[in-house]
Amino acid sequence: MLRLENLSKSFGEIKAVDNVSFQVESGEIFGLLGPNGAGKTTIIQMVAGLLKPDNGRIWLDSIEALVNPEATKKLLGVVPQEMAFYEELSAWENLFFWGSIQGVKGKILKDRIHFYLEKTGLLARAKDPIKKYSGGMKRRINLIIGLLHQPRVLLLDEPTIGIDVQTRLNIYEVIKEAAQAGTTILYTTHNLKEAEELCDRIAIMDEGKILASGTLKELITIVGKKDIAYLQGEFSLEKAQEVLTSLPPEAVLSLQEGKLVLALEASSSLPPLLELFFQKGLTIHDISIKEPSLESVFLHLTGKELRE
Amino acid sequence: MKRIFFLLRKDFIRKWKNPQVIIGFMLIPLVFTFIMGAVFGRQAEVSLPPIKILIVDNDQSLLSQLLLGALTQGEFQKKITLVKLKEEKEGRRLINKGQATALLIIPQGFAQSVWEEKPTQLILVKNPAEQFLPQIAEEITDTITLLLSGAVTIFSPELQTIRTLIESNSSRQNTLDDKAVADISIRIKGKFEKFGDYVFPPILWVKQETIELPGKKEAPQLSFHGYILPAMAILFLLFVCNTVIEDTLREKEKMTLFRLLISPLKMEEFVWSKILTAIIIGITVTAFLLLLGTLFFAINWGNFWMVAVLVITLNIACGGFISVFYSFVKTERQAGAVLSTVILVMSLLGGSMVPVDIFPQFLRPISRFTLNYWGIEAFHRIMFGRSWADLAPIFIAFTLGGFALAAIGSFFLKKNLVKGYAG
Ligand SMILES: Nc1ncnc2c1ncn2[C@@H]1O[C@H](COP(=O)(O)OP(=O)(O)OP(=O)(O)O)[C@@H](O)[C@H]1O
Ligand SMILES: [Mg+2]
Repeated sequence: MLRLENLSKSFGEIKAVDNVSFQVESGEIFGLLGPNGAGKTTIIQMVAGLLKPDNGRIWLDSIEALVNPEATKKLLGVVPQEMAFYEELSAWENLFFWGSIQGVKGKILKDRIHFYLEKTGLLARAKDPIKKYSGGMKRRINLIIGLLHQPRVLLLDEPTIGIDVQTRLNIYEVIKEAAQAGTTILYTTHNLKEAEELCDRIAIMDEGKILASGTLKELITIVGKKDIAYLQGEFSLEKAQEVLTSLPPEAVLSLQEGKLVLALEASSSLPPLLELFFQKGLTIHDISIKEPSLESVFLHLTGKELRE
Repeated sequence: MKRIFFLLRKDFIRKWKNPQVIIGFMLIPLVFTFIMGAVFGRQAEVSLPPIKILIVDNDQSLLSQLLLGALTQGEFQKKITLVKLKEEKEGRRLINKGQATALLIIPQGFAQSVWEEKPTQLILVKNPAEQFLPQIAEEITDTITLLLSGAVTIFSPELQTIRTLIESNSSRQNTLDDKAVADISIRIKGKFEKFGDYVFPPILWVKQETIELPGKKEAPQLSFHGYILPAMAILFLLFVCNTVIEDTLREKEKMTLFRLLISPLKMEEFVWSKILTAIIIGITVTAFLLLLGTLFFAINWGNFWMVAVLVITLNIACGGFISVFYSFVKTERQAGAVLSTVILVMSLLGGSMVPVDIFPQFLRPISRFTLNYWGIEAFHRIMFGRSWADLAPIFIAFTLGGFALAAIGSFFLKKNLVKGYAG
């Protein structure tokens, strides 16, 4: 179990993390979804004991992290956002070193290294120096290092950046197995799909704050039973805003030049709106209507689009 | 403790797989020694200042005057400045103050012994502070002794003249007129030049092996290579230590330190593992250098155990010394700039690049505050067959100083590394 209570951290003027609270149960994968600079890594670093929070408390199981950092380290596994290992060493040598430092010994360590390398399809390359690996292969090693000592609480900071679909599924599998074994997992990402596919519960974060959290279903109800309309065309912000005055403000999820996302009570309200666009001489090239998804929730809450 | 072992192992494998830098630091001193040996070994006297020898002539005989005359002739003239003194006491005082390279005492009855072809002895007192020049002075007097022992036969015609002169001037035996002495000196000089190829080593160090004085016991010789290599080696050992300890900052930049910080590892363990790695790699590199020195340049390093202790303690000192500078440097680049400057300046002052012997007087005391000076000094002491008692102070100072500096260094380096992270 991992619990954060009213956690805050500022860097000068920037409120990197602003009064964040949540709890992740054992066996649960909890996703922290947020754009660049949302404060995800800052949270991970505070839990890992590398940054002192300005405020708030952190528990891992029954241990209070800030009071007992040494005991916390034993429970914790962290996969940092940056690749952190020795490039000149082989995968095997790296894993052996990191496992040993974590106190895993002898045959158990060797078996685990073998198991994870096989699982992630790297066994054949185990003896090559990591500097000869591709980006995706390095990512996998970066992940395995955090898993070797089978921590009670696992913090994963965007572990799948730059990874192809196949490998990504592979990594999901490893993470899901860890969760099934009872590990508490905090998973940060700015990838909507990933959050949808992998996480049991999701917290949407922006500018240091958690805007909403819950299961995917719960989050979608925030937008309600609506049709999400995506419009693309040639229109300026001001012109579009003039047209949109006819709609309630919460219906506009996102408005950019040439791009508009609306949450409509019913798709039947779309034709009259298009009519208004044409009257003002604005062109629309492309319209699509979708069911509410995490994306629309995210847009609704932050007004920001997430791009990979 | 066990974790330190894993850290050391990890760093050794890393260095083993990426040995270029360290091998470079090992090869440079060898190449340098070779080149310097090739360039200066043949004409080293050109690069050396005149050797100042104090003379006390207790004999005041014609022969002793001739001897001194010979010392200012031909080849010798370029190398030697003679200063005649009245009293031995004054000479010893000046030598102890380090104001000359050597003191040559011509004992009373010297001439008499030579005339009678009895064994003769000159006394040469060397300046204890100089490492290099006294050797030359010693060789010169050796040569002179050799000359004298052969002189009776080679110079028999001149000796006849001298006898005649002495007999005709017997009332004032010790004050031959200058003209007569000069005349004989010139004749002797002529002979010197004629026989020069046989009796004069044109290059003192190279040909001196051919000079064997009867009864001279064999002492370890300081070869030119044997002088240069340790001096250069210490300079590059400091660089070796630096590349290893620099790794601490590299690990911070590469985020592996981040991972280590969230592991159960203690920062002390991390920092000490780096210092230890530096020391152990330093020892290995030194051992290789000495071995290669023996293989390539036939250097005789002297007593094995003394050399072994020196290599270990010297590297402790180097590791400790370098670690101190990591108390305040923040980045690898900063470290590179600061440490290169410190290492180069200290090595220059300490005699790693230019022998301290030829430094101006005011610089010499400064040399003694450098690691290089004492390292070179210790190598020389061992090569000259000095006792453990002569070396123990250096060994002890290296060890205690090294560990003390490493303790300071590791303490601040630890703080330096976790900066930006919570404690
Ligand atoms: N050490 C620091 N010093 C100053 N500001 C910092 C520091 N670390 C983070 N910040 C700031 O805090 C905010 C949150 O950063 P953080 O790295 O937590 O974001 P993130 O959600 O992990 O973003 P990303 O998806 O890009 O990794 C940013 O505005 C960042 O500039
Ligand atoms: Mg981040």
